[in-house]
Amino acid sequence: MKDAALKQEYDVIVIGGGATGAGTARDCAMRGLKTILIERLDFTAGATGRNHGLLHSGARYAHTDPESASECIKENMILKRIARHCIEETGGLFVSLPEDGLDYHAAFIQDCLKAGIPAEELDPKEAVRVEPSVNPEIIGAVKVPDGSVDPFRLTTANVMAARMNGADIMTYQEVTGFIKDGTRIVGVKLRSHRDGSETEVRGRVTINAAGIWGHRLAELAGVRLNMYPAKGSLLIFGHRINRMVLNRCRKPGDADILVPGDTICVIGTTSTRIPYDQIDNMEVNPEEVDLLLREGVKLSPAMAWTRILRAYAGVRPLVASDDDPTGRSISRGIVCIDHEKRDGVEGFITITGGKLMTYRLMAEEATDMACRKLGVDRKCQTASVPLPGSEDTDDDRKRKSHIIELSTEQKAAGDRHGSLTSKIVSDDDAADALVCECEQVSVGEVNYAIEELHVHNLVNLRRRTRLGMGTCQGELCACRGAGLLERHDKCTQRSLDDLASFLDERWHGMYPVCWGETLVEIQFTSWLYEGVCGLDPSEVKVTENPTQH
Amino acid sequence: MRFDTIIIGGGLSGLVSAIECARAGQKTAVVSAGQSALHFWSGSFELLGQAGGETVIDRPLDSLDTLPENHPYRRIGSERLRTLLSKVPGMLSDAGLKSAGSLDRNHLRLTPLGFLKPAWLTLGDYVAFEAGKPLPWKKVALVNIYSYLDFYPRFLAYGLEKRGVECKMAAVNIPDLDTLRKSTTEMRATNMSRFLTDSAVDRLAAEVNKVAKGMDAVIMPAVLGIYSDAPVECLRKGVDVPVWFVPTTPASVPGVRCQLSLRDLFIRLGGEFLPGDIVKGGEFEKNRLRRVYTVNLGDMPLEGDNFIISTGSFFGHGLIADIERIYEPVFGLDLNVKGGRTEWYRKDFYAPQPYMEYGVTTDKEFRPSRKGETIENLYATGALLAGFNALKEGSGAGITLATALHVASRITG
Amino acid sequence: MMTLQQQNISDNNFESCIKCTICTVYCPVTAVNPDYPGPKQAGPDGERYRLKKPLFYDEALKYCLNCKRCEVACPNDVRIGDIIQSARIKYGRHRPSLRDSMLADTDTVGTMASAFAPIVNFTLGLKPVKLIMDAVLGIDDHRTFPKYSSLKFETWFRKNAAPSQDKFKRHVAYFHGCYVNYNYPQLGMDFVKVFNAVGIGVRLLDKEKCCGVAKIANRCVKDATRDAEINLRSIREAVGNGCDVMLTSSTCCFTIRDEYSHVLKLDNKDVRDHVSLATRELYRLVDEGKVKLVFRKDFHKRVAYHVPCHMEKLGWGIYSTTLMKMIPGLDLVRLDPHCCGIAGTYGFKKEYYNYSQAIGEPLFRQILSEKLDSVATDCETCKWQIEMSTGLPVENPISLIARALDVEATMKANGVE
Repeated sequence: MKDAALKQEYDVIVIGGGATGAGTARDCAMRGLKTILIERLDFTAGATGRNHGLLHSGARYAHTDPESASECIKENMILKRIARHCIEETGGLFVSLPEDGLDYHAAFIQDCLKAGIPAEELDPKEAVRVEPSVNPEIIGAVKVPDGSVDPFRLTTANVMAARMNGADIMTYQEVTGFIKDGTRIVGVKLRSHRDGSETEVRGRVTINAAGIWGHRLAELAGVRLNMYPAKGSLLIFGHRINRMVLNRCRKPGDADILVPGDTICVIGTTSTRIPYDQIDNMEVNPEEVDLLLREGVKLSPAMAWTRILRAYAGVRPLVASDDDPTGRSISRGIVCIDHEKRDGVEGFITITGGKLMTYRLMAEEATDMACRKLGVDRKCQTASVPLPGSEDTDDDRKRKSHIIELSTEQKAAGDRHGSLTSKIVSDDDAADALVCECEQVSVGEVNYAIEELHVHNLVNLRRRTRLGMGTCQGELCACRGAGLLERHDKCTQRSLDDLASFLDERWHGMYPVCWGETLVEIQFTSWLYEGVCGLDPSEVKVTENPTQH
Repeated sequence: MRFDTIIIGGGLSGLVSAIECARAGQKTAVVSAGQSALHFWSGSFELLGQAGGETVIDRPLDSLDTLPENHPYRRIGSERLRTLLSKVPGMLSDAGLKSAGSLDRNHLRLTPLGFLKPAWLTLGDYVAFEAGKPLPWKKVALVNIYSYLDFYPRFLAYGLEKRGVECKMAAVNIPDLDTLRKSTTEMRATNMSRFLTDSAVDRLAAEVNKVAKGMDAVIMPAVLGIYSDAPVECLRKGVDVPVWFVPTTPASVPGVRCQLSLRDLFIRLGGEFLPGDIVKGGEFEKNRLRRVYTVNLGDMPLEGDNFIISTGSFFGHGLIADIERIYEPVFGLDLNVKGGRTEWYRKDFYAPQPYMEYGVTTDKEFRPSRKGETIENLYATGALLAGFNALKEGSGAGITLATALHVASRITG
Repeated sequence: MMTLQQQNISDNNFESCIKCTICTVYCPVTAVNPDYPGPKQAGPDGERYRLKKPLFYDEALKYCLNCKRCEVACPNDVRIGDIIQSARIKYGRHRPSLRDSMLADTDTVGTMASAFAPIVNFTLGLKPVKLIMDAVLGIDDHRTFPKYSSLKFETWFRKNAAPSQDKFKRHVAYFHGCYVNYNYPQLGMDFVKVFNAVGIGVRLLDKEKCCGVAKIANRCVKDATRDAEINLRSIREAVGNGCDVMLTSSTCCFTIRDEYSHVLKLDNKDVRDHVSLATRELYRLVDEGKVKLVFRKDFHKRVAYHVPCHMEKLGWGIYSTTLMKMIPGLDLVRLDPHCCGIAGTYGFKKEYYNYSQAIGEPLFRQILSEKLDSVATDCETCKWQIEMSTGLPVENPISLIARALDVEATMKANGVE
């Protein structure tokens, strides 16, 4: 899909293609504002795409941060209504190990109930029965309505909703400066990451929804945001170990949540404060891997022998309020700043803090503020209107009730695109052929993503479809994907560069866990691409920093 | 059960030494733990293609001094290397495989992504160019099979057009493939080759002819001839212009063909091939290996005078890495691995990866050791050996073949 | 970190799969039936999805022959066939049909059929009956049924062989299987003849049920497990009495040794290594110099050996061929490893008959291209299939040895009176 041809002037410029930015663009567009969403790289390239994918019930915060907890449970219920195809209602357990004791557990249920979170005590034996993967030595268990949410799908759906409501979308455009009229911000200067070209976009209100990168953006706007980055590392296992989300029932700590998400499961996280200049350099070190495994096996012993596909890390976009070096005691509370009031800079709003769970609420607050500035009085509807893909359509009902006999890849695509799956062309056998066999991504789905979902390269394609996210990490499908993208892009050298960069990007997540079958897999991949295919680093340009995709 | 020579590993290296031993009249057995990396073979054997991971090499046997002193090639020596490797085309021919190439000068093979890479020996029907000369064609047709995903005409065209060849792209279909196409995954090269036999090939040739008119050559994915040359010959006969093949991503037709052909040759020579079995370990007396035990044969060991271990690198499970260490799983042989897992890799995917050079260390006769003690009747060959990066050197097949032939000739005297 | 991530031990090694696609090259079904997703998709790829949601179970897994050729080919020791069979058992939605249950229940059907063998054989050979079975039950009318014997092997053994077994110092137990008992007692007699000739007595198990291969294939898991438990009890008892258990069917042997633990999840570790094929045991005894085989001078035959799929998986074809090569008058032809297509009850089913024959076609062609007196193989269903499809007689290597053996000279050489 081509990026938008620019309009003369927008009501709102939203900067940041994470869940918050996309959600804000959707909310603004639904309220009739002329909106543009601008993303430096690709949607979900930042913290949105680099977390657990946990649909919090709020229980995790019930003890330490009741306000966040109650926000979470409210948003949890809303997402179950509006984003059905992005979430899975797995349920969750908070389990106490002998080393944790039962003190926290005792207060925990009360705290949950106070915050409005349905929490039910389970006998440990019963917990092992409903969730056989949990450590059988647990001494306490509480059932809560945790689930999993796919941040890629959620963000894409918000982007699509924004677009359907008239918003323009631009990716790979970095804000290099603001256009000012006196003390008022009236637009942004952009440079394209794809061809280096420069443009300007004008808007009456600009919303900074750039997460941790918002710190730098604020500097460009001449205001100071005191954010600090806390890095959290996670490991992805090759398949689902657990059916329900598993949490340690204790004060939040390292490696205490195991979340099943699509075909895999994720253990996390660690928490380390890092210098601001390292936020684009997310490398997981061996100590973090060891820590995640050592603590993780206490939650579910199967982690000791399950293949690890890759490791990744994200940066929590926290607004500093004290000097806690871990960053954990800080509230995940939403921070919505009117820079006119705070700094005397008009037409500029920052929406930050919060968490993936509360992205919609954050968007609502930021949009409310923008509406006030623009003198628009329209109600937020984002909590009640389903996202594209989560609508209750006839076709979708038939699929779900198996009136239509579905193939495996149609079922897999259905989980990814919800009711929009019907847009995937499946009119002949060639369209049904699988490009990515691990994740069941067909030619039709790839073509749909390229045409409709702002796909310019293999990493974009991966985020929209799961291509290359499975067991082989692109060994079988990278080449096929590159072949299909080239048909659309028609620049062969760029496609070869993209293929080479994609393999490099996959490797970056693999080397921290490079033993066992992961090492076998990467040796096989290297032989195949560098050997058989002759993909020679001297003939292609590899984009080095993986976040630059 | 007693044998003269027992070979652990049924890939290229294991089979080649097994064939040599069996041909010399030895009672020989091969234990093969599943199929081998030969299944991904491109159809070309490379000898030495690059020096220092960069400079393209034209005359491989004259360029051995670009390699480190302990490299298998330098241990064998250029003269003996020539003697050994000159046997290979004959062996392939005995197995029913035509090949072309010279030890004196590399030619260039065309890769599935359209790059030209130095090679020594290429199967008769696969695209190969003389180095340093303009390509022999002005106009070629790149003909895919409709809906087949592992052939990249546009990448190939890009590579060829850079060298002045005009490319036309087309996809053809014959009804014989329609049933296979119903499967979302199984339109694989090797599966298609099971359908493309007999009269189906005539129909394919007729379709190819429709797009081949006026072309100097047709280039197609290697989707024919998994069990014999007959379908390829039939297609070439039926198409009005010369047809050449480019290998595909796994599993490749030339790879499977080569594997099966060499295995059959070995069996024809009286060898015992034990498929799908894993050697668990052995019993030593002094510094000699007496017998090995396998998973399937249980308490009935295989006894032998000599043993060859050709279990490959990590892919073949010749080496195993766990979170802490890398080891050779059959006998616990000495390796050249140093340090923990952070030492095994570089963060740049395309950098020379240390793990690629790991393997068993040996004496000059390629005999490995355990805890520093050389085992007198055990030899190691192929990708299991330490001290080279086959990928960066473009030397994998050459090392595999040369060490296998070297060791076999030592054993058979 | 000492105990973490030393190895991958997921169920049936499914995530050791590195997506190399080698298994797909060797699957006999893919080449004839595109509705079958192929071993990679049906096995390790599908398993990730079934773990996500059981809804992802694909009924097309029923097309798997369970030949295990994918497992023999897999370079990573992934038990692909076991993954598929376990998934069929765990997630299969339809109950086994009457036809499937009948085909699977070899014991009951066999007992009844033996009692009325001449009538049954005559009736099953009649075209109208075949047509009715085809139409009503879905048993393909092209299929030739194995003949039922009016004399069960067990009956024969008790009457004719059992009394003379006590004179031997050493004994083995014989798991004869349904085929020997109900259809072809001659093979059992041959086994007794050969083992007695070398000085080894034969006993039957206290209680023997069908090994369960047909029940597993038809997802009658409860019955299969019940039978397997009875068999394991009898095997334990025999082993406890110092008798290793011998079989003449590679499939029954494979089922007891491997499928009991991998698919039925029964613990058979204690007896697994005491369950063996007769050819393997005979080879061992000859190799260790413990027994001698003396063959007749007037035996001349050109025989091709077909490795049954489960024999290939056991890895024991070498014992049968090495033994046969000891027969001076036997000209042994090796066939390419190729599935015959019948896969037990699979080839009897109307919906699979054509696939079954197409799978075996290259094998039949090779057999017919050699000038052979007969074919040898260690599996009874391969025997039916090859006999029906090539017209050549097929015999078990043990029967061949029995035929070629100079019994008196062998007895003498082994000091048997």
